[in-house]
Amino acid sequence: MSRRAIAQFIFALTVALVPLADALSAESRILHIGNAGEPETLDPHRYNLRLEETLLNDLFMGLTTFDAQGRLVPGAARSWGTSDDGLTWTFHLRDDLSWSDGQPLTADDFVYAFRRLQDPATAASLAYFMYMLDNAPDVNAGRAPLTALGVSSDGPHTLILKLSRPYPYLLERLLYPTAFPVPRHAIEEHGDLWIKPENWVSNGAYVLADWQPQAHVHLRANPHFHTEVAISEVQYHPVVNEQGGYNRFRNGELHAIGSFPVGELDHVREQYPDELRMSDLLSMMYLVFNTSAPPFDDVRIREALSRAIDQRVLTDKVLRSGNKPAFSFAPALIDSYNAVELAHASEPFPDRIERARSLMQEAGYGADKPLNITLRHVAGLEGKKVNLAIAGMWKQIGVNTQLHQADLRNHFADLRQGNFEVAWAGWVGENNAEHYLTLLQSDIGNVNYGRFALNEYDRLIDQAQSEASLEKRNQLLNAAESVVVHHHAVVPLYTTAVRRLVSSDIEGWYENPRDMHQVRYLSWGR
Amino acid sequence: MTRYLLKRLTFSLITLFAVITVVFFLLRIAPGGPFDGERQLPPEIEANLKAAYNLDEPLYRQFALYLGRLVTGDLGPSFRQKDFDVNELVSRGLPVSTALGISALLLAVLAGMAVGTLAGLHPGKPLDVWLMSLSNLNLAIPTIVAGPVLILIFAVFLRWVPAGGSGTFTHFVLPVIALALPYVAAVARLIRGGIVSAGSEPHVTTARAKGLSPGRIVGFHMLPTASIPLISFLGPAAAGLLTGSVVVEQIFDLPGIGRYFVQGALARDYTLVMGVVVVYSTAILLFNFLADVAYGLVDPRIRAL
Repeated sequence: MSRRAIAQFIFALTVALVPLADALSAESRILHIGNAGEPETLDPHRYNLRLEETLLNDLFMGLTTFDAQGRLVPGAARSWGTSDDGLTWTFHLRDDLSWSDGQPLTADDFVYAFRRLQDPATAASLAYFMYMLDNAPDVNAGRAPLTALGVSSDGPHTLILKLSRPYPYLLERLLYPTAFPVPRHAIEEHGDLWIKPENWVSNGAYVLADWQPQAHVHLRANPHFHTEVAISEVQYHPVVNEQGGYNRFRNGELHAIGSFPVGELDHVREQYPDELRMSDLLSMMYLVFNTSAPPFDDVRIREALSRAIDQRVLTDKVLRSGNKPAFSFAPALIDSYNAVELAHASEPFPDRIERARSLMQEAGYGADKPLNITLRHVAGLEGKKVNLAIAGMWKQIGVNTQLHQADLRNHFADLRQGNFEVAWAGWVGENNAEHYLTLLQSDIGNVNYGRFALNEYDRLIDQAQSEASLEKRNQLLNAAESVVVHHHAVVPLYTTAVRRLVSSDIEGWYENPRDMHQVRYLSWGR
Repeated sequence: MTRYLLKRLTFSLITLFAVITVVFFLLRIAPGGPFDGERQLPPEIEANLKAAYNLDEPLYRQFALYLGRLVTGDLGPSFRQKDFDVNELVSRGLPVSTALGISALLLAVLAGMAVGTLAGLHPGKPLDVWLMSLSNLNLAIPTIVAGPVLILIFAVFLRWVPAGGSGTFTHFVLPVIALALPYVAAVARLIRGGIVSAGSEPHVTTARAKGLSPGRIVGFHMLPTASIPLISFLGPAAAGLLTGSVVVEQIFDLPGIGRYFVQGALARDYTLVMGVVVVYSTAILLFNFLADVAYGLVDPRIRAL
């Protein structure tokens, strides 16, 4: 046998043995997941990003949690109840709860955690997620002691939360890491270093085994978790560019990625039909008008621009990435809520344009005096394309659009300062209309980028927020939305589609509008 | 000589201080801050965050605090990678970047010398034309294009090496090649020129007349003369590789300090960017200082100072 033949034989043998070796090592097989970026922290009270929520949901478990389909189910609490006025919530904890070091986990740990979140020294940027707790803003500002916070325990297995106003979405809010318990004993022993793998203690299905910044975060099954998990080791890899993640998926280095270049969608549909997982994310992409200055303080101009935009063309012809056109500011995906659509959504497009043209004329603009505006968007290839399309649509009604792009951080800094005319904005999140509609409240702060203000709207939202019954609350929100839709403060464009690729080796992965996939529900298919 | 070295050292330190000062204030002038996001923070929360990172102090005091810590070798806490301090991040990223840079430099010199010699020995022949066209192409293609093409060919289609990430030796193969390619070409061109002109030197003609083997002639009589321009090229090349690694680390998801630099700048992580800048500029100033020392040793006019 020549040397070359021997080399070929060895190569063939290696190739043949790889699947065998994989099968043998199934016990310690590592799941590799591409995450949208590098986590800034794994401290549930200091976290800030969605990509951290993914990891934190594997590492910790709050009072409520997600099931494999992304639905809300009991977590550390096995049951709960609420008082008639909706202000007192009582949670009954499971009695088999423990930390990953074997220490028992009690209601007092939750009391400690809720107080730590509001402790000014923690400097939690999302502390306001739990501002419905009694005295929370005052505690966070240092005006009230930690003990004034509306949280207490009644024995080791009963936790009581007291709210300042009714908040029927509390169970859902508790899904966020801001409501996760943290190990008091470890924090008191190690201080800020409790977060290091060697000191790590948590109560989720996994624990932190290793963290190589910008390379991977390695999690290992928590032996003290109340049920067994099928996958014992998982590594999250920060994938900063879509193409890179897609390459690593195709090369078999990553089992799941959160997105891939949109231009590859047709190819992926053909090549990876079983691996492609498309789902609608609870989200809203919209254009916002700066209503505090001319010309956008004029509702006729806002309506004309809104009418000229054909959402379906943007999603189906321009973006072609599975996004769903949106005609209401609260996403249509929200449970038990009927979002109010734009009145012109059902009109034929030529009629929309004609009415838009006459609105522009009424407002004093026409062929001899065109309206010149600047549209701000976040830098990116996809952004350029869709913005040119919007500029084209506005051209039809005699509006000249100049595009201005900036990176995400500068873009939103400009928006918060009111330094724009028309701009892109987006909101991702909860399964309730309030989460979106409050963005147009006049006193919500600079997240109401367009400085929209309408007394009647504010009053209806305020009424809704004092209502404990979800049904009545939604009715009031609905009334508020029907008022605001005629003022065209924003142009709803679309809800985002998540384009994931998940290896067919993995079982138990279900699409859901929260895009939550805890590793404990997954298993190796082959 | 001592006076000369002291002078160079003082200049290096002044330059370092100037770089630190300029970058510190430039970062603060840049729009957006480390805690800005899509969501707006309630004022009390923003105050808590700023207090935690001394951002509530006046700017000159922040600068003094930073310099005070820097003198003791403390690069401070990272604003965005909250579970690490900058020293920790740099000490993990620096070995990756160094390994990448040194391997690329070695590859560039070795491969460049081989290609340059081959081409230079056959000036004007098809081999020369072919090799030099390839080199020109290499010089013209930026890493940001060559990197993804390499990934597509060798990782996605051939599956010989990983497409990105780190952990094993194989993860470094493509990044090193991508980083080295333009430098291979540059070195090859330098060496080719040297070899061509050395071919007509009297001592080479003499060596041929003496009947020395071609290998000996090239190795002992032509390459040494042809390599002299290489020495002055290495300084800037090392600096170029350092900055080039910023791009390569992004493309290949390598956890080096170049990647921290980019991610840190995007996230307005003041301390992380400062830390990388301090490390980069110290390295470059050190290279320059060493080059000055080398010149001093070689050039008697400087030695006399």
